[in-house]
Amino acid sequence: MKVLKIEKLTESTFCIRTERPDVAIRAGQLFNVGIPGAGINREYSMYSAADAPYIDFLIKEVQDGFVSPALNRLQVGNLVEVDGPYGEFCLNPPDNSDQHYLFLATGTGIAPFHSFVETFPDLNYTVLHGIRDPDEQYHEKDYAQGRYIPCISRNIEGQPSFRLTEYLIKYPVNPSSIVYLCGNRNMIVDAFETLREQGVHGNNLFTEVFF
Amino acid sequence: MKIAISYPPIVNEHGQKAMVSQNRNVQFFKTPTYLLPVTHSQAATVLKQMGHDVYWDDGNAQLKNYTQWFDDLVAWKPEIVVFESTTPVMKFYWRTVNQLKELLPDTIVIMTGYHSMRMPEETMEQSATDIVLRSNHVDFVMARLAPYIMDNPDWRLTCSLEGLSIRITGNEVRSTGNFRQVEPLDNSPLVDRDLVQWEKYAYENGNYLQTPGTYASSVIRDCMFGKCTFCRYNGPDLTFSVMTVKRSLDEYETLINKYGVKEIFDDSGVWYRGKEAREFAQGIIDRGLHKKNCYFGINTRFEYLDEETIKLMAKANFRFVLIGYEAADDETLQRLNKGYQLQHVETCLTWMKKYGLHPHLTIMVGYYWQTQKQLDTTVSEVKRLMLSGLARTLQVTLCTPLDYTPYHKECIREGVLLTDDYDDFDMSKLIVKTPIPHDRYYQAVREMYSVAFHPLFILRQLRFMLAFRKRDWQFLFTYGFRAIRRVRQHIFNLTRHEGKPDTQDSTEPVSAK
Repeated sequence: MKVLKIEKLTESTFCIRTERPDVAIRAGQLFNVGIPGAGINREYSMYSAADAPYIDFLIKEVQDGFVSPALNRLQVGNLVEVDGPYGEFCLNPPDNSDQHYLFLATGTGIAPFHSFVETFPDLNYTVLHGIRDPDEQYHEKDYAQGRYIPCISRNIEGQPSFRLTEYLIKYPVNPSSIVYLCGNRNMIVDAFETLREQGVHGNNLFTEVFF
Repeated sequence: MKIAISYPPIVNEHGQKAMVSQNRNVQFFKTPTYLLPVTHSQAATVLKQMGHDVYWDDGNAQLKNYTQWFDDLVAWKPEIVVFESTTPVMKFYWRTVNQLKELLPDTIVIMTGYHSMRMPEETMEQSATDIVLRSNHVDFVMARLAPYIMDNPDWRLTCSLEGLSIRITGNEVRSTGNFRQVEPLDNSPLVDRDLVQWEKYAYENGNYLQTPGTYASSVIRDCMFGKCTFCRYNGPDLTFSVMTVKRSLDEYETLINKYGVKEIFDDSGVWYRGKEAREFAQGIIDRGLHKKNCYFGINTRFEYLDEETIKLMAKANFRFVLIGYEAADDETLQRLNKGYQLQHVETCLTWMKKYGLHPHLTIMVGYYWQTQKQLDTTVSEVKRLMLSGLARTLQVTLCTPLDYTPYHKECIREGVLLTDDYDDFDMSKLIVKTPIPHDRYYQAVREMYSVAFHPLFILRQLRFMLAFRKRDWQFLFTYGFRAIRRVRQHIFNLTRHEGKPDTQDSTEPVSAK
């Protein structure tokens, strides 16, 4: 697939837009992405809407990694291997539009939730985004007013700092929410514990570990 | 509490033993193969650490017959018995549970395993099982469940731990909902080798080039990819957990220095990759473990390990690398959600060959859509990879839908399943309707295994010896005889239905009835 657009978001995070393969895609699915001929790939969740005429990937360059640094060196017009989609970390919105969805993400783990929100604009949702620095609020304006809550952990003078899990404890979740968790496994383990204590049923918790 | 973690010996009419554990599918073998069930070993370890009286009860590895095993278990009078089941032996387990409950009605029987976790109601209906664990994290769940049962006489009504089906009374069963999909793997103890009598598993394993060998506590539970439709490590309910590199290195160091292990295999669905793989290999070198005459083996996927990592792993004395090849046509790989592209197979194997690793390919035949052309392509590609020395060993199995994986459900949905008798799911014969006669697949199995006897293959192994790597000499002289014996057994197992009337001609698919 050809690279259509590259957007640098932070020093290490970037968004790559590629041509769309001619296959059915569901929001939340992932693709194997790699440099042509390199013989190695990595899985990345789709960041764009399921019906968009392109695919966006939100990628953080891993220090000492192999695939992500190579992807970070791509230029518009270069080719990239995109194989998929795969996975069942998908969202089937209910007929009941009142159903509240809570999306918990760390870092680039927000990718599938961005895809959900872009695909289903009428969704009743809240995103809690655990990040270290303020500049990691990737495309925060794409989320409806008041629905995106950054949880910035780094201490910055004059700004509140807290972890996603601390926010969850301070503001308990409505137990009827359907909760999706994606990203760092430690966050997922801790948040799961808190959510269960707050009465969210195990059947309403869905997880995808990124790293 | 007195807790038994039990694996009854299962012997079929050919006198072959079945090996049941989470590490692999059930197959019956005359030549014994004893595989350490890693997660259950960790469960036993944590329960012992908590002060419970744990009885590690693997009838297979302990060379007991069924009666001996059963009598010993009854005599021990456990308060809890934990079993692990999978599709081909479900009926056997249900009978065993009922037999056990007749003699020990107060013993709580807990069924674990990928089949029952996906069909808990069935096991509750078919047997007197008290609890079905719907979680694959047997260690974590048991660590919470045992104390709860001990402290709460009314546990059947009150226990709310996630991921359980609990019999309240008679046919009344309740579910506690979905289980915790991610558990911090570092919180589960490393396997207590003495508790599980590790030496009973240290010699009879066809993949070891040197013995004693052992399985490491898996660094990854389930699979980092987890999308292949035929695999039990798949499903929206499963994800993966990772152990830290240092912790795994500590275990390897103990296994080598304290137990004198000569080969360590990590049976994680897929082992580390990238940075963690390099950190691990470098850690082995930094600790000097690469000079202790111990080989290391792993499962991986095509397109997961780059050349630099493979080079470092070879330097660290990695040898055996098991890779799921499955088939050599794009349609099949796509339908299986394999997530790799054929064009990269050769690159990956070339790197492994270059640095002296021994890639082991696993292949399956008999997918319900597999045409003669697809089958021929797979056979010829496998032969090419073996004869050119890109792969060292192989394992061919009949693709059998199991444990209600997506492939299993797909076979039911597509109306191609020829039997719903779980005894038929033992991988000894094809049980799906296929576009060509079943015999063609059995012939393909024979043809692929026969590569081991091909003069070119043998010549290739002789040429490998010119590199003067000890492992290549061992491969030919130590391993060769054992491998041939196993190849003959595999061929017997997988082709003993060859030439018999093709059941698909006379059998209506059960899933279409």
